[in-house]
Amino acid sequence: MSDLADLSLVAAADAVAKREATSAELLEACLRRLDAVNDKINATIWVDRERAREAAAEADRAVRSGGRLGKLHGVPLAHKDMYYQAGRPCTCGSAIRRDFVPSYSATVIERLAAAGSFTFAGLNMAEFAQNPTGHNRAFGDCHNPWNLPYITGGSSSGSGATVATGVTYASLGSDTGGSIRLPASACGVTGLKPTQTRVSRYGVMPLSFSADNVGPLARTARDCARILSIIAGHDARDPTSAQEPVPDYEAALDGDIRGMRVGVPTNAFVDIADAPVVAALEEAVKVLAARGARIVRLKLPLMAEIGAYVGVVSRCEAAAIHARWMRERAQDYAVHLSARLYAGYGIPAAYYVEALAQRGPVLKEFAAEVFSQCDVLATPTIPMCLPTLAETDIDHGPPGTEQKFMAVSVNTRPFNYLGLPATSQPCGFDPNGLPIGSQLAARPFAETRVLKVADAYQRDTDWHKRRPTVAKS
Amino acid sequence: MDFRKMTEAAIGAWHGIQVPNDAAARMAADLESTIRAFEAVRGRMRFEDEPSSFEAALRETKE
Repeated sequence: MSDLADLSLVAAADAVAKREATSAELLEACLRRLDAVNDKINATIWVDRERAREAAAEADRAVRSGGRLGKLHGVPLAHKDMYYQAGRPCTCGSAIRRDFVPSYSATVIERLAAAGSFTFAGLNMAEFAQNPTGHNRAFGDCHNPWNLPYITGGSSSGSGATVATGVTYASLGSDTGGSIRLPASACGVTGLKPTQTRVSRYGVMPLSFSADNVGPLARTARDCARILSIIAGHDARDPTSAQEPVPDYEAALDGDIRGMRVGVPTNAFVDIADAPVVAALEEAVKVLAARGARIVRLKLPLMAEIGAYVGVVSRCEAAAIHARWMRERAQDYAVHLSARLYAGYGIPAAYYVEALAQRGPVLKEFAAEVFSQCDVLATPTIPMCLPTLAETDIDHGPPGTEQKFMAVSVNTRPFNYLGLPATSQPCGFDPNGLPIGSQLAARPFAETRVLKVADAYQRDTDWHKRRPTVAKS
Repeated sequence: MDFRKMTEAAIGAWHGIQVPNDAAARMAADLESTIRAFEAVRGRMRFEDEPSSFEAALRETKE
């Protein structure tokens, strides 16, 4: 077997279950990779080697005793540092919560532990999960492993960078405006934002009550399906979590997308994209067509409405959550974050309520018109060739940097407003050697469908198998 | 009073929060683009519309 750190999540779990590798071997492979790359990418906030080695030893004892094993038995994982774990630090990527140690654990962390995995690191992230680039003043910027001066995408920056380099087999990110899909796209890995309400948010740092989502970044669509099958489902401790039954996501991944209608927008998402990004998307669509999918070009409705409402909800909710600290210690936030929060206080409450009240009607109209014509929508995840950290550095850049900064997430935010499930999977590289991602979205609770299409695509391509040079040294 | 000064005064009065840096002032001034976006969709909000319709819409529009 080649380096264990390069296995997919599913392959790593299978290796432990079949006794082809021990949990301790997987962990040491991840830690060796971490030590090899982290000076360059700055992807972790804390690493707990001792407790992780104890967990791996315990997992290996369970294998030897012949007990029933969970779907991720013995698999070491690292997550964005905003998931509460009792007795462990949870900085939320911020100076303000640098010393915060929660007394309870997030439901998703407990569910992953019940499936046999354990956590060995908390990963770098945008401060309080509020930028699309990966800048972080408190712990240092996370760097793109494919080309170090470039952004990783955010806010789950460390998740994207560590999955890409083989430091972890998968990672929980969070997605309020694209924060799973953006780093997945920028770092060349696969990410899934589930349907709003699909996954419990109990014990997860809040940003926006209405738009926060928990989901995985991993190397393949199948890996994402494995994680989702474990973390999805109602949680009594999160009353907003859906009662919908959880299907067997992995079982549906059979590569058969014959007759599937793949919609490509003609009036949004693609029309604003850079030429190399459009070309990569078109090639990806051809791959799906070769598998029997039918490509549908369609005009998307309600773009003006979605454009008006999309930014208001999360900005107002984030502003409310941070009001006390903005009054008492605004200087402890990075400039770009305090600036964004500050503007949120200027939005009238009537706008906020209108944006929330229109969410249901807009979703119904959008779904009726769009999903009568296609089964999944395909768009670029990030419409531009990736910018550098310097080009998007509001804290130190000239006036106008804000526009480039905000443009990174223009294609992901609409699906947060609509609450739809959406993936990002790698589909090429730009002229600077940075990954390009394609985004797939579908009806509410149709995670199976987007994962099925992404998995079919990954059967015929190898973009998701490529590793940055920094991870090979 | 120009829009930027008016917005900063309103935020100070309603929230007790002062503009923390130049970028914040620029982003607050850019709220004029939010006003324009809402102007473009005025008339859409109906008397009966309310936020709880979203969870129902998620269920109604699933397969």
